Amino acid sequence: MAAENAKSKDLYPLALLMDELKHDDIANRVEAMKKLDTIAIALGSQRTREELIPFLVEVAQDDEDEVFAVLAEELGKFVPYVGGPEYATILLPPLEILASTEETLVRDKAVDSLNAVAQELSQDQLFHDFIPLIEHLATADWFSSKVSSCGLFKSVIVRVKDDSLRKDLLALYLQLVEDDTPMVRRTAAKNLPVIIDLLTQNPGLSTNEDWDYISNMFQKIINDTQDSVKFLTVSCLISILKFFNTKGDHSHTRDLLDSATKLIGDEAWRVRYMAAEKFDDLASQFAQNDEYIAELIQPFLNLCEDNESDVRKAVAKQIPGFAKLLKDPSIVLSKVVPAVQSLSMDESEGVRASLALTVTNLVTLMSKEEAIDHMLPILLNMLKDEFPDVRLNIIANLKVVNDVIGVDLLSESLLPAITELAKDVNWRVRMAIIEYIPILAEQLGVQFFDQQLSDLCLSWLWDTVFSIREAAVANLKKLTEIFGSDWCRDEIILKLLKFDSQLLENFVYRFTLLSALTALVPVVSMEVVSDQILPFVSHLADDAVPNIRFNVSKSLAAIVEKLRKDKPTYDETIKKSIMPLLDRLVKDDDFDVQYFSKISLEECKKLLE
Amino acid sequence: MDMDLDVPMHDAIEEQLSPTIDEDKNGGERDDAGGNQLTTINTTNPNGDDEDDDVDLNVGGGSGIADHKSAKPLELNSSNINQLDQWIEYLSKCQILSEDDVAKLCKMAVDVLQFEENVKPINVPVTICGDVHGQFHDLIELFKIGGPCPDTNYLFMGDYVDRGYYSVETVSYLVAMKVRYPHRITILRGNHESRQITQVYGFYDECLRKYGSAAVWKMFTDLFDYFPITALVDNKIFCLHGGLSPMIETVDQVRELNRIQEVPHEGPMCDLLWSDPDDRGGWGISPRGAGFTFGQDISEQFNHTNDLSLIARAHQLVMEGYAWSHQQNVVTIFSAPNYCYRCGNQAAIMEVDENHSRQFLQYDPSVRPGEPAVSRKTPDYFL
Repeated sequence: MAAENAKSKDLYPLALLMDELKHDDIANRVEAMKKLDTIAIALGSQRTREELIPFLVEVAQDDEDEVFAVLAEELGKFVPYVGGPEYATILLPPLEILASTEETLVRDKAVDSLNAVAQELSQDQLFHDFIPLIEHLATADWFSSKVSSCGLFKSVIVRVKDDSLRKDLLALYLQLVEDDTPMVRRTAAKNLPVIIDLLTQNPGLSTNEDWDYISNMFQKIINDTQDSVKFLTVSCLISILKFFNTKGDHSHTRDLLDSATKLIGDEAWRVRYMAAEKFDDLASQFAQNDEYIAELIQPFLNLCEDNESDVRKAVAKQIPGFAKLLKDPSIVLSKVVPAVQSLSMDESEGVRASLALTVTNLVTLMSKEEAIDHMLPILLNMLKDEFPDVRLNIIANLKVVNDVIGVDLLSESLLPAITELAKDVNWRVRMAIIEYIPILAEQLGVQFFDQQLSDLCLSWLWDTVFSIREAAVANLKKLTEIFGSDWCRDEIILKLLKFDSQLLENFVYRFTLLSALTALVPVVSMEVVSDQILPFVSHLADDAVPNIRFNVSKSLAAIVEKLRKDKPTYDETIKKSIMPLLDRLVKDDDFDVQYFSKISLEECKKLLE
Repeated sequence: MDMDLDVPMHDAIEEQLSPTIDEDKNGGERDDAGGNQLTTINTTNPNGDDEDDDVDLNVGGGSGIADHKSAKPLELNSSNINQLDQWIEYLSKCQILSEDDVAKLCKMAVDVLQFEENVKPINVPVTICGDVHGQFHDLIELFKIGGPCPDTNYLFMGDYVDRGYYSVETVSYLVAMKVRYPHRITILRGNHESRQITQVYGFYDECLRKYGSAAVWKMFTDLFDYFPITALVDNKIFCLHGGLSPMIETVDQVRELNRIQEVPHEGPMCDLLWSDPDDRGGWGISPRGAGFTFGQDISEQFNHTNDLSLIARAHQLVMEGYAWSHQQNVVTIFSAPNYCYRCGNQAAIMEVDENHSRQFLQYDPSVRPGEPAVSRKTPDYFL
């Protein structure tokens, strides 16, 4: 009886899973699949191998893609559940089936899981089971299996120490690169850099024969008729260059440079785009030879003038990186700066914004005079761009400019740019400039800041949009952290307290003032809190608007938290003026005032214990 | 960057919305925000073949949320405040509550809302808002513009559900806020807070899709019966979803109505939720098939009789988010930007401060990362 019970209990999870996996509703089947690991643990490794896996092999052939996707993912974590690496090969058959399905999502998950399982396999298992699996997939009739096989070579290529076997694998990969279907060629081209990078990490492993194959693959890809395959050559090229640079073998560099220039000037814009997007990385592979770099200047300038704005946008970000490789300031001034000049006036706002992201770094390559003569006019112009993102990107990266030429020369254009952004009709633009203010404050220093910007910072407190007022409060807090308590008292708090009393008749302004002072409590000195902030907050305890009163309670708790740190000095203030105020607010007519005051009071009592 | 994956994302949305295009055309110049005609409403059970067969979906009380009403208003204590704060935190991330939690929330809400008057008195300062229509992310944007509740007091004038894709989240959030801060937020009833309308315009289907049954829809529509139908801000601004009724001359007459019922097809309660102001004087037949149109003479008379300065209402799409009519006797406020994700309108809210100064705040749709930015420009080929 007891034994039977135990047995039925054992059977229960698998029976339940099978029931759920046969459920009419696909959502139930997906949910059941997600619990696969629980079932496997309940069954134990032996029964998982003998019952669950054969069952899953069946499932993998007869269900919907959603269920397959979960199954494919779960199986990748299954090595421990089948009894560890020695049994891991049992997972390969169901994953192979899933890697051959038509749905890309399922295949991708199956490939990830196969790679995860491969990590755990011994050398023997790899040769006996995994490599035949790759060969099987790669030589299947249907393109989906071949696509999946492309993603698996990376798990084996450097673990094959036998040269002829590795050559066979590369020969197989070459077949995939030459496949009839573009989908297979594309996946093969996409995975090639990963394989090459692995060879770079093991520089002693690959033979010349291996590289004949890789060179062959590269030639096939670069001459592919499909743009969507061809543009993947750029990454392959970079990986190949990295390999030979690591080996210190420069015998192929000349040829590879020719390939690079060919790609940069390709007639398909996607290929040029890819070259532009990775230009810095590509060019730096030739950095050991100044002549080679010089040969890249003209192709680079061509990209800057490309017909496609997406190409210009991509290359605009790469300019300082490439200019650094030139090592010669005169070429930067005569060739690069004119290109920057024209990109800064590009018709596409996206190009200008992209340029603005990094262009300030160019000044580090020049002397102060050169920067003032050549870069400053461009930067000042960009600060006046009609597209806010251009201005914001420049402002965000001004530190380097300030380091080289100082802030004075900039301020004349910087201030109008900031003021303009501060008044933008789109509140998210106003928000963006507020968030840059602390960065600017750190970069430009207190003196510049006081003269020009502190009034602007205060004016944001009276914005009609709440989020701007909130950001303005946070900004004041950050500025105080940078400039200190005395600055805050003189430049912020005293000005706020002298604020036009007529405006304070509006609840929104009283609320903002209260929020600002409360936010400053943790960052100013205790004297400022007790002498300036506390009196104002206390007088709002009688405000007619309940929303103000319950925020006074919150504020008082923050003040007590601050002042209790110097108990001897402020004990009396706390006991005689703050606590009685809270005692009174707890008895307020309004429920929310009572509630928040009670919380504050309890907090304060705890703090004072 | 995989350039093979550039798939246009608008198609599905456009397709689903295409019926609305026709409706808006029917609304013509009036920019009919309700967009619907009561006469066209399908009152039969749209869910033909399940267990709901024997239940008439147009009669209240089926959900049981009002079976054990309290005789006094809900008292907030630390345990239910805790519960509510948790729900609010959850809902503010646009996640739905469980069916059990919705039942608990609705029961609490009945015990708050049943004690509110037909004409809910409201103090200044308050921020007045119009239709939201399930555009949850734009509701969050609204709070970014106006300030969070409870620090800011809010009055919503109905139409929380239908049309948008997040009616469940929107109405759950607002009801949870109402129960948590009954003195800081007021939610009035709109013509879409109705069993009949929600079966046609999306809320019913959304509940079915998100919960797998109509139970949550039943709870909320039973709760809608308890929503107050009008509010009076400091005795000066009369707020309601639709407009005036020929059967209502004074605010006191609204106080005498029995509002705890499904929105009727005619009569004063129906009119308050369905009527629209019109350029023509006097009373007119509404093209919506429910309520009336009323002219400036009617608004002036009503404001004079009741010593009011303004009627604030929602119910109609206005491109700037707010619109004055009847020489500033009536204002329309609409708080669903880019209504139905395609109308290109701005939204607005109206802040009324303690000195009765009014300020309109306009805003655009919220920006959600990963979604294509909505352009307000109409493509050339539509012109």
